[in-house]
Amino acid sequence: MSLTPVQLSPRTAERARRRPFWVAAALAAGLGLSGCGAETTADAADPPEAAEPAEATGQTGGSSGAEETAGTGGADGPDSSAVSSEAGVPPVGVSIPSIEVDESLIDLGIAADGTMEVPEDWDDVGWFDGGGMPGGAGPTVLAGHVDSTTGPAVFHRLEELSAGDEVFVTDAEGTVHEYRVERTAVFPKDDFPTQEVFGVLPEDELRLITCTGRFDQEVQSHEDNHIVFAVPVDSADAP
Amino acid sequence: MTTTSSRRRTIGAGATLGAAVLLLSPTMAQASTEADGSVERPDEFTSAFSVMATPDQVIDADGEVSPGEEGATGDFMFWINSEEEVICYEITLTGVTGDYESPADTATHIHEAAAGEPGPPRLAFPNPEPVGDEPRTSSGCMAGPFTTGVEGDDGADTGEGFSLAEIEANPAGFTGDSHTEEFADGVVRGQLAQVPLDGIETGGGGMQQSSTQTGVFAGMGVLALAGGGAWMLMRRNQNA
Repeated sequence: MSLTPVQLSPRTAERARRRPFWVAAALAAGLGLSGCGAETTADAADPPEAAEPAEATGQTGGSSGAEETAGTGGADGPDSSAVSSEAGVPPVGVSIPSIEVDESLIDLGIAADGTMEVPEDWDDVGWFDGGGMPGGAGPTVLAGHVDSTTGPAVFHRLEELSAGDEVFVTDAEGTVHEYRVERTAVFPKDDFPTQEVFGVLPEDELRLITCTGRFDQEVQSHEDNHIVFAVPVDSADAP
Repeated sequence: MTTTSSRRRTIGAGATLGAAVLLLSPTMAQASTEADGSVERPDEFTSAFSVMATPDQVIDADGEVSPGEEGATGDFMFWINSEEEVICYEITLTGVTGDYESPADTATHIHEAAAGEPGPPRLAFPNPEPVGDEPRTSSGCMAGPFTTGVEGDDGADTGEGFSLAEIEANPAGFTGDSHTEEFADGVVRGQLAQVPLDGIETGGGGMQQSSTQTGVFAGMGVLALAGGGAWMLMRRNQNA
């Protein structure tokens, strides 16, 4: 699946703004400045619809290894300490019943400026295909918009998730991977914890990312990212 | 639990002055190097890479599996500014015992080597410390031209002429590792994988703008009501 950068993101535009005027002018004239979230175009993927999530079994692989388990919802003990040596299978769908999200996934890569591509469609959810996959080692990272230029977008209720909430990710083989929210956090985009979010891990984990905080009109960008960290509970074949 | 880290604001007069200097003298764009070889962290990077180094990925000079220390792991994170030839690193080793050993200047490297293949060191990083305690960590930034202290087949240092853009062009062709006395082939090793820089642009501001508009309309409504009230008061006074 090819990914073709076509527009400057606000962050790219901000970088251009910091560069000498002629560089910024050339970039603006050549590429056109865009609204937030339209940095790149991910192919209009047509993956199969996410399978209905398997009924949560409550089965766990052991006690939680998380340091910051919050709330009481994680009492079942998602197994965050299980080390996966498998590569995993690419995800094709995500379901988050508590916030009524049930979407297929598009692939996202890394843009020319080194930042992560984001869905062009406000209602698409994307998977960072340079990271981990469900059932394998490393974090599976999914991203969606909190709002469009006119109103709410697909992840506008992501901030409602809290420790213990369930997230189901369906892979390309039809297996539904059940994750449980371990914690959430807000980070300024200019102090983003790259290693914590994207760093290679021996464990299977899940990250859900959207924007939050004040929307800076000048650079057409929210100032912060809201990140949900989730760990696997179990996996079950799709019904 | 929701946590919010402190916001970092560094752009200001210094950045403006820096841009002016760059315009006037491109050759001054080189990072200034301290006596120990370290440089300041650049304001921006062009790429970032993560490595999960494990003992089972270690191979010897012939490409044969040569397992490192059982239970050891290495977490390598690199940020590159290939325009300034600066690489910043945060390396954490856990489960590693014993002293370091390598023919290079240090024992912690990026080698030009694909998975399962041997290859020469191109970059040598300060070894994670402290030896004998957990975890061992090493962090900082360094700028090219780079040297490793290892002489290649051509007689030149294996870091000589190396450019960080080569990593950006083919991250999977490079591996991070560290060597100890007991595990000279490598105590842990892992391939570089590119990860995104900075935050994720996942919003168009529509909800904030609509709430702002709502606030504006509400404000206009309050003003209209106040104006209407004042007008009625004036009418009453005039009629009295």
